[in-house]
Amino acid sequence: MFRSHVSVTTIRQVVEINTKHRLFSPGKLTPGKRIVGSMRWESSTRPAPLLTATPVRTLVDEQTCIKASFLPSNHPVTVCARMRSDEGDLWQSFAHYNTNSSGMFNLNSDHSVGGSYSGCEPMGLFWSMQPAPGEREGLRLRKKCVESPYTVQISLLEGHVSPNQDPGKEVAAVTAERWYMSPGVKRQEIRQNGLVGTLFIPPGPGPFPAMLDMWGMGGGLPEYRSSLFASRGYASFCLAYVGHKDLPGPSNTVNVGDSYFKAAFQFLQEHSQISADRIGIVGLSYGCYLTLHTGTLPGVKPACLIGINGPVGSSRELLHVNVTTKKSDQDQVFWSFDDQGYIIFKQTSLPSNLHPESIVKLEEITCPLMYIVGEDDLSASSIENADLIEKTLRAAGKSHLFTRLSYPGAGHLIEPPYSPMSRASFWVIKPEKLMTLWGGHPAPHAAAQEDAWRKMLAFMELSLRR
Amino acid sequence: MCPFVQQVRMDNSLQRVKLSVHPSRALVDEEFVILVQNVPPGSPMTLHALHCSEDGHRWEACGHYIADSSGSINAADDCSVGGSYLGVEPMGLLWSLKPVPGSKPGLRMRKKDVQTPMVVAISVFNGHHSEAFVDQVSLASWVVERWYMAPGVRRIPVTEQQLTGTLFLPPGPGPFPGLLDLWGGGGQLVEYRSALLASHGIASLALDYLTNEFTTQTGKMVDNQYFETAYRVLQQHPQVLGSRIAMLGLSLGSVFTLKMAVYSPVVKLRCAVCISGSHIQPVSGGPQEMMDLFTRNIEKINFSEQNEVIWRSLLLPVPSDPSMKADVGRLRCPLLLVVGEDDQNWCTQESAADMEQMMARAGNDHLLTILSYPETGHLIEPPYTPHTPSSMYRGAGVDQKMMVLWGGKTPEHSAAQEDSWRKILTFLKKNLYGGSDPQAIHRSHL
Repeated sequence: MFRSHVSVTTIRQVVEINTKHRLFSPGKLTPGKRIVGSMRWESSTRPAPLLTATPVRTLVDEQTCIKASFLPSNHPVTVCARMRSDEGDLWQSFAHYNTNSSGMFNLNSDHSVGGSYSGCEPMGLFWSMQPAPGEREGLRLRKKCVESPYTVQISLLEGHVSPNQDPGKEVAAVTAERWYMSPGVKRQEIRQNGLVGTLFIPPGPGPFPAMLDMWGMGGGLPEYRSSLFASRGYASFCLAYVGHKDLPGPSNTVNVGDSYFKAAFQFLQEHSQISADRIGIVGLSYGCYLTLHTGTLPGVKPACLIGINGPVGSSRELLHVNVTTKKSDQDQVFWSFDDQGYIIFKQTSLPSNLHPESIVKLEEITCPLMYIVGEDDLSASSIENADLIEKTLRAAGKSHLFTRLSYPGAGHLIEPPYSPMSRASFWVIKPEKLMTLWGGHPAPHAAAQEDAWRKMLAFMELSLRR
Repeated sequence: MCPFVQQVRMDNSLQRVKLSVHPSRALVDEEFVILVQNVPPGSPMTLHALHCSEDGHRWEACGHYIADSSGSINAADDCSVGGSYLGVEPMGLLWSLKPVPGSKPGLRMRKKDVQTPMVVAISVFNGHHSEAFVDQVSLASWVVERWYMAPGVRRIPVTEQQLTGTLFLPPGPGPFPGLLDLWGGGGQLVEYRSALLASHGIASLALDYLTNEFTTQTGKMVDNQYFETAYRVLQQHPQVLGSRIAMLGLSLGSVFTLKMAVYSPVVKLRCAVCISGSHIQPVSGGPQEMMDLFTRNIEKINFSEQNEVIWRSLLLPVPSDPSMKADVGRLRCPLLLVVGEDDQNWCTQESAADMEQMMARAGNDHLLTILSYPETGHLIEPPYTPHTPSSMYRGAGVDQKMMVLWGGKTPEHSAAQEDSWRKILTFLKKNLYGGSDPQAIHRSHL
């Protein structure tokens, strides 16, 4: 009788007439009069349940507590989260819970019994999001504009439903904002001395410790890790080196060399708000190689190095980003393909496939080095490279400088926590669409991101502030 | 643009100082944690807050701390031993904000634009300082935003049927319980409390009943039907649950809250909250008659030593004439009274005592809760905002501004704001979201 699309006014009028079917009141159970079914919550005498997220505005790496109250007791509910990426794609997740005897549930303490994740996962709604059915394929969630938040609509639905198939009626909602920048953090586009990057400076007088931040061969200039570092009190300079319109030469090759990366480090050293002797370098994927390489350039003395899922050297030629034909790129001999035709880059960075002269002289490292491994990394041979680093440093008597974090089930893209992962996404779309496999499975990858981020920040705290 | 402290290099021992405030974006009534790390153990440090208000004034506060043996200061655990607040006060930097020296006298901080946050710069300085912060270099600084509106809350101007108000709706489909929100004799359309209430799940209509459009244009005050119209507009809103509406009034607003709760055939409240108010009023009159009552008693004004106006005796003594006070013995819904025992503007304490007696005699005092706070003044507002002991005030329709004494001592008043707000929210949620219908006894059963 009281299904989804009846208006509230109509419901009010109908139920006022028919008080014999007065609703099930939590805490006032009248034996034998329990009413089950969809009319549970719709009434003139009860408001919608109260759904809250505390706090409603957070940084992306902070937790928020989602709770609901004033629901029927021991009742099935579905919580659903939806948000749009900067490109307009819809991402969503949902989970099934049961309220307790007081008509409440709390994601910090209760277990999801189905949906996008299961078990007790306070932030599960955020990290388990996937593109909604009907959205474009091959997506990866990356925040382009770090000065605006993600706006996440969190809804409460009746029963255990799948939002895509039979959503039913939304009975309550709350909006949460997830920010990549703290108030007071300053963002500066840097285009000087040939450098292409963005500098984030925390609020306050400084001087601050700093990070030089590099990503992989996907190119462009992802700013979101740097903006988060600045929101944690570290100046951070994310540096573009390939596939950016302001860089010289063709966009599908790396056209900058040692002097470029050294200049980037020196830029930080010479900045009036940065402590010259407290600068670290961090890089993911090919950025990891650049981190190790830059960190051992003559005259560059970083205070710490962080490498995530990347090689210790470069392959025989600097990688071409675009696919032209399979024959023209010598590295493509190392590519493999899964049964869906997705590229697996992993073999390219096996130590034995790296150009021997490009392999970083790890024994010359003089600062602490943290290396993060996703054990299901299908894009880079992270385990093998970590083994090589460990072996080299041990032989040089420098094991005390090395920290290795290894995460089973985690893939290549170990990013700031509570963000959705993509096991595969588009690598290129022209001249043909090609997907690449990053690896990782949602739950262990999410746990890895959360743990790795915390440990990275602690490592930076120890190396750059004490 | 408000200038912050200058940036100069400092010596190495203090370069590692780290300051963090979490969460950096929060609702005005939420707590944050201020943490300072990597200072030399045992060193004296000052935490400082600076805020530039919408009207361009600068407000500041400070706390004096001693770093522990690990070189940390946590404002939630550690004691302030000097400055504008003392003791373990995690939010002291906000509630003890005062205008900087040299400011115009009689300032009061009130957020007009609720869609933007209040921005506060929090800094840590070496040593213990209480003044001249502009001339110092801070060791570290952080910026926090304090919001009156949660994301997704909708702000809807209400102008139908000659009303002047703003409705704040929580996010979601509803239906939500509703609340009619009345401020005091200064008039204007004050939105920030309603915005906060909507951020807690209550559809709240802030109503201007003194300087509203009708009064501004005609020069005439509205009558009691104005409040009933506002109630109806709220009740009939498709996203408001018409059977669950409350009223909340501060100061003069409490007079009309009680009038409606007791006498109106239209207004049926789930519960009522009266802050710093009274039941003393001409029962059969409206706003104009209330203003006339004040005018008739004008000689009862007193003045403090600093020549601040004290209005608390204006309505005293509590009349015994039943036509001069709302008959709260007839109330059918729960009533929460919030009383500042140092209220210099209204006779709140005496009124609350009289209301208690009336309800005890009538046998409905089980509906009454009184929260009475020592050393607390008249302006009991949402927490963690500055206490105003006195300010330059212009009553609605009055040409002249005068310095009015509100009362209260800052630490006690701030504690009262924090405690009363929490209890008001619990009271409202309990009665609006849960509980049985107090009016039900009068409904016929089918």
